[in-house]
Amino acid sequence: MTLLPEAEAPIDPPPQPRRGGTARTSGGGIGLGRYILIRALLIVPTVFILVSLVFFLMRVVGDPISASVGDRLTAAQLAERLAAAGYDRPIIVQYVEYLGQIATGDFGRTLSDNRLISEVLLTYGGATLELVFYALIVAFVIGIPLGMLAAYYKDRTPDALLRIFAILSYATPVFFAGLLLKLTFSVWLGWFPLGGRASTRVQIALGRLDDPTGIYIIDAIRSGNSVIIGDVLLHAIMPSLALGLLTAGVFLRLVRTNVIQTLSNDYVDAARSRGVSEFRLVRYHAYKPALIPIVTVIGLQIALLLGGAVLTESTFEWRGLGFQLAQYLGARDFVAVQGIVALLAVIVAVTNFIVDVIAALIDPRVRY
Amino acid sequence: MTHSSAFRRRSLATLAGAATVAMALVGCTGPSGEDELSLDGIIVGTTDPVTSLDPAGSYDNGSFAVQNQVFPFLFNSPYGSPDVEPDIAVSGEFTTPTEFTVVLKEGLTFANGNELTSSDVKFTFDRVVSLADPSGPSSLLGNLDSVEAVDDTTVVFTLKAANDQTFEQILSSPAGPIVDEEVFSADSLTDPADIVEGNAFGGQYTITDYTQNEIIQYEANPNYDGLLGAAKTESVTTQYFAEETALKLAVQEGDVDVAFRSLSPTDVADLREDDGVKVWDGPGGEIRYIVFNFNTQPYGAETAEADPAKALAVRQAIASVIDREEVSEQVYNGTYVPLYSYVPEGLTGATESLKGLYGDGEGGPDVDAATALLEEAGVTTPVALNLQYSPDHYGASSDDEYAAYASQLNDSGLFEVNLESTLWDVYSAERREDAYPLYQLGWFPDYSDADNYLTPFFSDANFLGNHYQDSAVNTLIQEQLVEADIAARTQLLEDIQDAVASQLSTLPLLQGAGVAVTGTDISGADDTLDASFKFRYAALTRD
Amino acid sequence: MSVTTVRKPSLLSRLPIVSHLRQSVGVQRGMLIAGIVISAVFIIAAIFAPIIAPFGFAQTRDENGIFGKQMPPSAEHLWGTTVGGFDVLSRVIWGTQTALSVVIVAVVLSIFAGVALGLVSGYLGGWLDRVLVVIADAIYPFPTLLLAIVMSIVISGGRSSLWSGILSAAVSITVVFIPQYFRVVRAEAVRLKAEAFVESARVVGSSTGRIMFTHVLRNSTRTLPLILTLNASEAILTLAGLGFLGFGIAPTSAAEWGYDLNRALSDTASGIWWTGVYPGAAIVLLVLGLTLVGESINDISDPKLRTRKRLRKAA
Repeated sequence: MTLLPEAEAPIDPPPQPRRGGTARTSGGGIGLGRYILIRALLIVPTVFILVSLVFFLMRVVGDPISASVGDRLTAAQLAERLAAAGYDRPIIVQYVEYLGQIATGDFGRTLSDNRLISEVLLTYGGATLELVFYALIVAFVIGIPLGMLAAYYKDRTPDALLRIFAILSYATPVFFAGLLLKLTFSVWLGWFPLGGRASTRVQIALGRLDDPTGIYIIDAIRSGNSVIIGDVLLHAIMPSLALGLLTAGVFLRLVRTNVIQTLSNDYVDAARSRGVSEFRLVRYHAYKPALIPIVTVIGLQIALLLGGAVLTESTFEWRGLGFQLAQYLGARDFVAVQGIVALLAVIVAVTNFIVDVIAALIDPRVRY
Repeated sequence: MTHSSAFRRRSLATLAGAATVAMALVGCTGPSGEDELSLDGIIVGTTDPVTSLDPAGSYDNGSFAVQNQVFPFLFNSPYGSPDVEPDIAVSGEFTTPTEFTVVLKEGLTFANGNELTSSDVKFTFDRVVSLADPSGPSSLLGNLDSVEAVDDTTVVFTLKAANDQTFEQILSSPAGPIVDEEVFSADSLTDPADIVEGNAFGGQYTITDYTQNEIIQYEANPNYDGLLGAAKTESVTTQYFAEETALKLAVQEGDVDVAFRSLSPTDVADLREDDGVKVWDGPGGEIRYIVFNFNTQPYGAETAEADPAKALAVRQAIASVIDREEVSEQVYNGTYVPLYSYVPEGLTGATESLKGLYGDGEGGPDVDAATALLEEAGVTTPVALNLQYSPDHYGASSDDEYAAYASQLNDSGLFEVNLESTLWDVYSAERREDAYPLYQLGWFPDYSDADNYLTPFFSDANFLGNHYQDSAVNTLIQEQLVEADIAARTQLLEDIQDAVASQLSTLPLLQGAGVAVTGTDISGADDTLDASFKFRYAALTRD
Repeated sequence: MSVTTVRKPSLLSRLPIVSHLRQSVGVQRGMLIAGIVISAVFIIAAIFAPIIAPFGFAQTRDENGIFGKQMPPSAEHLWGTTVGGFDVLSRVIWGTQTALSVVIVAVVLSIFAGVALGLVSGYLGGWLDRVLVVIADAIYPFPTLLLAIVMSIVISGGRSSLWSGILSAAVSITVVFIPQYFRVVRAEAVRLKAEAFVESARVVGSSTGRIMFTHVLRNSTRTLPLILTLNASEAILTLAGLGFLGFGIAPTSAAEWGYDLNRALSDTASGIWWTGVYPGAAIVLLVLGLTLVGESINDISDPKLRTRKRLRKAA
């Protein structure tokens, strides 16, 4: 269970019709430049649709004023406050106004704690980045060797066990993994802190640095204090593990299938001899995984990790964008939710774009 | 005294190992050790989030808790008392029925050295009213007509309604923190960074570091010259937690010295067993109650079989069947205690009006009494009840609390409860639209005066909108509001509670206890856990 | 009611599973059998919950009085009691009913919505296809749990009753995953469109609808077992996620694992493990079982499919 769908389809990530789909409908054999242009232009409607969707959905849910003072004001007082905030205007008017603001780069201020959205994004983006980075390391270290192992032992017991491990990493909700980790390592063994990014004192010390980056490990190393570095690392272990394992399952599968693929190329011939259409065979060749560099895979995983990060951050009180998103959602602060979702959408859309372009560069057939 | 004693003991060994690895990895050397991390003073942990440091932009517990430490008030409650006295003022009184004149102390300054004069006071209140921020406290100043700075130390508040006895209390409420007109902006909310930068604090503490909802660092304010005296501890740090469990573990392990608001019932019960911490209990201002909608409750005014007498009997029978003690112990582990009247215990004028009227007369339930009440009114049993609560607004324990009431009512054989829960967004709208015959609500006071538990609920212009209206009660409420004699006013407050208790517009159930958990070397928590419901860090000391 | 609703999928899928079992060998067979056994245990638990469960899911007292809250596992309460004073074992067992109900509703809905849309879009093509693809692409990076939360509030009107909880979880899962099913089915439809048998059907003069929903749909069903089990797993995880975040079903309306996990979270700091570990393990096991079945069937039934899947994944 994660907030972004990418994280939820480790078994069979759907094909990417924005390659096969839109590009195909626009006719065969387009140039690379045109492909990139079309692909880049597609980012705009994608983000636009998302932002609009969030705008309308959040307004259906409720408003921050009723959420906070709905049990202490008379109906008239409440209406007065809603009017003062402009929520009583037709939703379409508010929508147009919001689009106007966004167009000028003004994301507004959060309603529940009166902060600039841009400042929120900057402050907490670093934390999310840091967590995603750690998780990627965990995923690489665990996922890639195990995936190769599984491929090597294809259809034998180690393979089965590793595949079950991969399924388990998908079947375990992050919050349950978090509960188990906390129970074992924080409460019983007392090895790691329950949550947060650093101890109070360390957090203060880091805040006192000149120009803190907000990425704690960098700040900690800059401080050069071993206690600070240790504390920051200690806090990162459980969240990185939780999110990393989730991703490691996906990596394991990717590596396994990739390796098996290259190991069994004669399978394709067997398929042909059984009468499989040329069309399909070409498609297979077009998507030949051996051609896809590991960079592309990482790119796809960024979106997945961002999605997983949202719940992981909430579970471990890791104050990044995902944690804030959950908090603002609870306060029905739609401006803040819109801002954060828009940023996440842009990151995912741009990442997908880059991945597609790289894939197209490597294999021209992708953009037929 | 330094942090090392309290520093995460269990982590030290692991820390050193991890650090060595990290140091080796990055190949850097530097000031190793914990000197750089030393932190004097006391660390307070809390889960109450802050909406705004600017008093004009907040109307919630978390923000007010911070503002209380760093902004001065004209009137404030001394330690241990719910009743207010002049804080940075010399006096405050009605000079004419509609004019409340406050005289400030001479030579007051903010922490930044700016003079604190009547002009700042006028600026403060005008600003709250003119900004009328949707999340702000402007509705508390409904009775304020205008503010006039007569001279540097004299302010005259002109009120719309005469002799408002709650006005002193309002000056101590979330609408009352005095701000520096040279730092705060007159036409918009001021950013926390600008407030901290401008050092625009006049309370017991100043803020030196502010990261919203993460960490706030307080230093004692030498310029504070008010009712509460200087802070006992020079520096205090507040750490914000999102989860109660994290706060619980932090106080248990000494990462924070004080945990205040909120710990889950489970955590409090567990901490009571722990010799490493002290649990302090004080009164709390938060109450929980059930509202009866007089139109739609069984036999209500707009039901098919409308009958005021039967409706009253149903309400009274419910009051007789409910077992508050069981809920207080089973669900809340004593973090909420039974409440037998409308004004919670600890406030001037509080009674236990319902105790004698319903149940076994001592607070416990009595099904026979309830049966008799219903029989006498000719109500056929079982009575079908639609009971509503919100699972998300008053904490997760609401589920357990209302499951308990439902089962108590069902087990009596007198009622058939249909228990429903609805998320707050829908709930807060639907309850106004008469959708719920019986429903859960809670209240936290704006100020520590009994009036704040009566006027908003039972006057003709109440916020409940449950169609309860009683001219006698309304008259009493208006009378106490302007009664200057304290004894006479207390009597009126008690009369109001007795009157409403016999009619049961709402059914008071529980009162939150003010629970603070501290390390064994911290004292002073009991001094500030009082019915002012303001937890002041300045009272805390480390032995 | 629950009995009939729960039995339905097992009947439906019995034949294909049996045939798959016969085809399978070695490890693959082991994984399939493990998946079937795990799933069967949960289905049986759901059907016979009233008989198996020692107490009701909302029961807090019996003839001996109140159970007491957070009681450690004992003879009376094998898995202890929750913070609400419910019996953990009973709630885990009753929870299977809730989970499987959501699975059924979600699967039925997504077949109608996602599969039909994908079929139409993929087969007909044209502007409809383009618009749908762009929309599906746009929804793709949308935070699904956020959408699920909003959908659940809209559908249930904020009410936390059994059926509004089940429906909102099921519908929100469907909405969120329509793009995924849409893509898989659409790709299949696009591929089949070019196949000779479809071409010949067209030449013979069959109507477009007939071609789509008989020829194309029938031949694209090979992917369905995988889609369906994926959907089922997602349904369970989403229901748990909603419950965990407090947008689920009230404990007095039904037993729901996510809700129990949510409440168990605050028990952890006091070392109370039994309130969270059991419902959490139930979620993991059920998802594991269903996924094992789906994946094994997928692997066994069509080795070609497996390769194509691999290719797509890497692309």
